[in-house]
Amino acid sequence: MSRDIFLERVRQAAQVGLAHRVHLHPLPPDVGYVGCDGDLCQRFAAEVDAVGGMAHLVADLAGARAVLEKLLEEVDPATGGTYSALCWQHELLSRLGLPELLDVRGIERLDYVSLAAMSPERRRESMLRCQIGITSCDCAIAETGSLLMCSRSGRERVASLLPPTHVAVVERAQIVPDLIDAVERLSGGASELPSNVVLITGPSKTGDIELQLTTGVHGPGKWHVVVVQS
Amino acid sequence: MATQTDYLRHTHHEFVAASEQALANQGLQQILGRLGDTLGARNRQAWQLLENSDLVREKARAIKDQTLADLDRHLMTLEKSVQDRGGHVYWADDGAEACCQVLDIIRAAGARRIVKSKSMTSEEIHLNEALQSAGQEVVETDFGEYIIQVAGHRPSHIVGPALHLSAQDVAVILSKPAGQRLPAEREVLAAFARAQLREKFAQADVGISGVNFAIAETGSIVLITNEGNGRLTTALPRVHVAIMGIEKVIPKLADLPYFLKVLARAATGQKLSIYTSLITGSRRQGELDGPEEFHLIILDNGRSKILGSPLRESLFCIRCGACLNACPVYRSVGGHAYGGVYAGPIGAVLTPLYDGLAANHHLPHASSLCGACQAACPVKIQIPQMLVQLREQLHHTPEQRGSRLERWAYGLWAWALRRPYLYRLGSWLASRTIGWWHRRDAWIKRMPGKLGGWTERRDFPAPARERFRDWWNAGSENEESAR
Repeated sequence: MSRDIFLERVRQAAQVGLAHRVHLHPLPPDVGYVGCDGDLCQRFAAEVDAVGGMAHLVADLAGARAVLEKLLEEVDPATGGTYSALCWQHELLSRLGLPELLDVRGIERLDYVSLAAMSPERRRESMLRCQIGITSCDCAIAETGSLLMCSRSGRERVASLLPPTHVAVVERAQIVPDLIDAVERLSGGASELPSNVVLITGPSKTGDIELQLTTGVHGPGKWHVVVVQS
Repeated sequence: MATQTDYLRHTHHEFVAASEQALANQGLQQILGRLGDTLGARNRQAWQLLENSDLVREKARAIKDQTLADLDRHLMTLEKSVQDRGGHVYWADDGAEACCQVLDIIRAAGARRIVKSKSMTSEEIHLNEALQSAGQEVVETDFGEYIIQVAGHRPSHIVGPALHLSAQDVAVILSKPAGQRLPAEREVLAAFARAQLREKFAQADVGISGVNFAIAETGSIVLITNEGNGRLTTALPRVHVAIMGIEKVIPKLADLPYFLKVLARAATGQKLSIYTSLITGSRRQGELDGPEEFHLIILDNGRSKILGSPLRESLFCIRCGACLNACPVYRSVGGHAYGGVYAGPIGAVLTPLYDGLAANHHLPHASSLCGACQAACPVKIQIPQMLVQLREQLHHTPEQRGSRLERWAYGLWAWALRRPYLYRLGSWLASRTIGWWHRRDAWIKRMPGKLGGWTERRDFPAPARERFRDWWNAGSENEESAR
């Protein structure tokens, strides 16, 4: 079988290659861990700004609601006065009262329930049409200003990808100091990873023309992170 | 009149002619000039924020070294992990076999429209040509790749494939599919590409991606992009096909952070790239997006031969492009001069290995061995040493051995170097003859006779008037007397 021949060839080559291993010194176990001094929320927000996002530090959920209201008003509806928002179903977003916030403004809310009822073609078309994606995250990294998101039903991967604006609401308990902590948290417990895990560190960018950064090529060009400090 | 070779489009092995053309191209020179300034400062700043960054690079290097020692076992673990999650694994001995496997998957899925995320491995096996000649429409979705696909160019940089083009050039290229004249403004051009490619994404049945890392224990592939096209390619189409070289596997999820921490810093001076995706199989029960099928193609294409050779370390490469940006030769001649898919210092190692040494005999010599590549490498690959090894191998290939005179001269040189008294005599004579003649100018611009070949494209350093050993001895005596 060609698979067995393939692997046997690799095995033999790896054996021969042992003669050319590079000699390395033992390394301290904490190598690469940067972590974060000071307040996790403050540091995380500063890093979000540094990578080109817009961080909104708020004291509590009421503050977060006020920011969200403002952001919803800023969205430029492509046609007419209404637009649709692609939303996660998340415990933090329910506590925030996101469904009511959208309904009051007459913004169409696309979430798991409404999307699951559609045909695949209609669903794809509706998702592509959304003007704003609203999510929380599974974990946020203070040192790099990153959001880590796991896909599952009710937490669609495209919510942070298709709309031109992405808003994520994060609270203190979700923030960890370093990437190494985030990966530990991810693998801790079950050995099974979700079908899709994404680390997002900034709005979509490209440096493909003359090495100059241009935002929003494929993913969201506007990236807002609301950090609830309580 | 002979037509000029179009190096933008065609592969070739005439490094010298291609680099002369590149040096005469003022637009290209301007762009390459910016490479060191823009990226250099950003990279240095990002490295400073990582404490003991040297040890982190060492760690990443150690993981690669350990993984390669047991590569077959890790590949089998990866296969099992992928299959346990409903994915399909294919083994491809070479590029042609991999292209056939991709085509079979596309046909079995009854697919017509294909989107692609940037992948150097797919460039290496010329996948686009294979798919197009089989009548499939395939669209590159990385902005840079999209531009060069429209223009029909080859990539000129591992990370920035359209690096050789100015905004003006890009405007001209994209005006064609736009059907109107686009201005040379980056935002406008990016918005045009976004709109075009969104339509392609909306209709695509198959998404093809590369693999930055594959995690054996979890059966995940890791994809890193800044634009988000990698995410779109693996979220919208019904079928996802990923292609990886055997060296991309890492054993554990816990190994990943070290690579992520060094990769983006080396590539673009970011702490992390914007999007890092870990994809583990197809969508699960109850999920509304993501592909329904996941296929992983594992490619050898000459890599196992390298694994058992002294150049094994070249398999550590994580394709960040840092050595290109650091290299004084790349920064002078650009990517197309190298002829292969991989340019720059690492390309000068990889292209001869993948594509044959004799056919690419200029490449190991396209380096001043200054060591900037090794210093920039996030996994510290000893590129200069490997280039010297390739030069030695070249010397042993019959067609590259050089003339009888040349061999005699090198033989004489080696004979003299083995006899210290002769070496001392020779250097004494040289400093008192050539050293004296060149006392005002340290460089020899033209050497006589057969030696003229050396000075055709570079100067030769003249022997100093005072030998190092004389200077050293005089210095220590002076110090003694000063005490």
